[in-house]
Amino acid sequence: MKKIALYLIMAAIFSVGCDKIEGPYLQISDRESVDVEFPELNPSGVYRKILMEEYTGHRCSNCPAAHLVLESLHDRYGDTLAIVGIHATSLADPNIDYPYDFRTETGNELANEFTIGTIPAAVINRENHAGGWGRDEWINKLAEVDRSKVYAAIQVINQPKSNGVIKVNTKVTMLKEYPHPVLLSIFIIEDGVIRPQLNGFDLIPDYTHNHVLRTSANGTYGTPLTTSGILDKGESYLYAKSVKTADTDWDLANCTAVVFLHDRVNGEVLQVETAPLLVSDNK
Amino acid sequence: MSKFLRFVSILLLLLPVSAVMAQHEFGNSRISGDFGFNGMYYIPDSLIGAKEVDSKVRANAFINLLYSNGGFSAGMRYEFYMFPLIDFEKIDYKGQGIKYFFADYKNKFIQVTAGTFYEQFGNGLALRAYEDRQLGIDNSLMGARVKVTPYKGIILKGVWGIERLNFEEMVGRKDHVRGLDAEIILGEIIPSMQEKSFMANIGASFVSKFEPSDNDVYVTLHPDVDSLSATGTIPSSNIPKNVALWATRLSFGYKGFRLDGEFAQKMNDPNSTNRYIYKNGNALFLSATYSMKGFGIAASFIRADNMEFRSQRLAFKESRLMINNIPAINRQYSYQLIGDYSYASQANGQIGAQLQVNYQIPKKSKVGGKYGTDITFNYSRFHNIDKQPVAEALENGTMSGTDGYTSSFFKFGPELLYQDIGIEISRRFTKHWKLILAYNHISYNIAQLQGHPGFMRGHLVAADLQYKINNKHALRLEAQHLYTKDDKGSWLYAMLEYSISPHWFFSVGDQWNYGNENPTMRLHYYNVAAAYVWKTTRIALNFGKTKEGILCIGGVCRAVPASYGVGLSITTSF
Repeated sequence: MKKIALYLIMAAIFSVGCDKIEGPYLQISDRESVDVEFPELNPSGVYRKILMEEYTGHRCSNCPAAHLVLESLHDRYGDTLAIVGIHATSLADPNIDYPYDFRTETGNELANEFTIGTIPAAVINRENHAGGWGRDEWINKLAEVDRSKVYAAIQVINQPKSNGVIKVNTKVTMLKEYPHPVLLSIFIIEDGVIRPQLNGFDLIPDYTHNHVLRTSANGTYGTPLTTSGILDKGESYLYAKSVKTADTDWDLANCTAVVFLHDRVNGEVLQVETAPLLVSDNK
Repeated sequence: MSKFLRFVSILLLLLPVSAVMAQHEFGNSRISGDFGFNGMYYIPDSLIGAKEVDSKVRANAFINLLYSNGGFSAGMRYEFYMFPLIDFEKIDYKGQGIKYFFADYKNKFIQVTAGTFYEQFGNGLALRAYEDRQLGIDNSLMGARVKVTPYKGIILKGVWGIERLNFEEMVGRKDHVRGLDAEIILGEIIPSMQEKSFMANIGASFVSKFEPSDNDVYVTLHPDVDSLSATGTIPSSNIPKNVALWATRLSFGYKGFRLDGEFAQKMNDPNSTNRYIYKNGNALFLSATYSMKGFGIAASFIRADNMEFRSQRLAFKESRLMINNIPAINRQYSYQLIGDYSYASQANGQIGAQLQVNYQIPKKSKVGGKYGTDITFNYSRFHNIDKQPVAEALENGTMSGTDGYTSSFFKFGPELLYQDIGIEISRRFTKHWKLILAYNHISYNIAQLQGHPGFMRGHLVAADLQYKINNKHALRLEAQHLYTKDDKGSWLYAMLEYSISPHWFFSVGDQWNYGNENPTMRLHYYNVAAAYVWKTTRIALNFGKTKEGILCIGGVCRAVPASYGVGLSITTSF
């Protein structure tokens, strides 16, 4: 009798303390078709844009100063610089004073990938520099990107659908030969998010957070466009992905799709393009 | 700051108590504690990579207070890390407050603790809530603990709490840890076993963590024909909120022989460190030792597969929010030059073994000399584990969102992580002179263990010469040479220590990276230190350079940034 009681207690502990998930765990959905017409591309009008992933946090006292540096760089580079603000590290964790959770699975995985420790830090065009670059180095590192190498052009057309779904249609045209397999990533960012931020020793309750990474539409590391991942010079490749926004608190009018093509092995970003979610942007 | 004021007021309240206590009015009441201050003035040095620090003077400070009266005790620790040493800032150990406080009562039958506490089940494979101040680790639990001894030799423990993460706010957090442990010490139940020099303990643990799962996880499907037409999502409903880990252990001893073993298994725990796979984790730790006069042998084995167990599935850095600990079984060294090549235990995939043999050539023998000669031989080797992706992972082009892989249990994986072959000879020549000589061949996989490219193979030769001038004065000279063509190349190190017992201590040392491929990086990292000890108080001052690297204690490591400056350390206990 005692043994039966013991087994019952053990079974109860296990059933309370453990959720056994039965597979399949992954939901796989069919790839979507691209159902828009892209305007003809003028290759001579394409220039290489730069992706700057800034690691930040609402409890990071030095981050607002870094945001000022970012804005000055944005002014200097205009739309040729795509900034993604990734809230990661423990300084992005929410607490009573900073209750909003800016963190994303994608942001966390990327912070892990680039061994981000101290923030503010930025990774520029995915150059694998452990820990990212400090804000004093951003201007120099941006200048070091070889912008004469225009490997590809990306065109983006966003289509609002029903139930808060936005379909991001993309077309990648290879302008130069590139020998390595590449992946295409679609990030959604939001500007003008009013939430608390630490600045020095002060809590600013209505700070404006810009470039906030909201999600990656197609996984942290993106999607290959061919079986091998190799794209041929002169060829174009279509890819579309729907983003569900119904259950989010995003202000779609302030959201932008950031689409970028990157080397599957060394991570180098070959091209990046942005398009507001609610406005079709025919490039 | 209100917490600080609260702390000061508690201190003020305690002062009269201690005054009364001095008059023994409270019988067995006792207050004890310790204080630590570790500060540094940073000087930038672009060559060694010591960056200019915003606030040049940084310090870590804490005070522990413990009150005890019979079976009752209560304690707390106030920490001031608002402007911490840059090592600690790098790992986000920054803030201030009373994060450690407890009240505890125990008698022969029961012990109850409320507040924060440290605890370990068995070897720590299931639970190890611990503190290492040097590493900046404090994985204490805030909650409650009960220990019951229903019968002599039987110990039952239960814990429930939220795990500490640096200075993060704990109130409001939803993740928490529950655990049960039972241990039977047969020697106490059957006293005749002890009389016959037998010992045997058995134990079992069950630990479970809860964490809400609100967000879907998107998975990138890598190239193959099928994946090109599909995308993957792990819906939040498929992410387990409760994750359990259980472990069983056994210790057996007879005279000089002792055998310890523990096996642990973790249920499905997709998280950011295992890239969201659902495979069960497991770990096996075995250790056998035998010792007799002048001879000892110790062999241990460890295998860990998918065993990182953290309070939050998004946590991945350092040891933050680690619930368990997979021990490092390799021999631990304090040699400066191989500090950067210390093995870090790999909870998500390692298999390895360690053998150590100690032999003392007898005293007053021809070879052993008047005081005997100690010889220690050591060999350890660790690999990653064998991993064969499951069919679904191959089909999807990623292990994420699948059972990941299968692994042949005792098969070593293809990648060598760490190997150490070493011999150490220690001999006292006279009452005054003692010499320790050591040789190690180290193979260290920088890419796997530190995350940046490289593999280091090197030879270390070390000598430690001690000369006791008289009962008061002593000299110690340490010299090391690391010869390698890998990583930063070869190094030389020398350090001279002079101590005047029992108060004064002086040292001067230098590490020289003479073999660096880049001639401008053949730098010296010198250090000068002095310390004064008075009773339980130690005040130390040092000036010098620290190279960028890692600091490991017991297989747990953290990054150390390069620094240059003047340091002051004060510790006292009362």
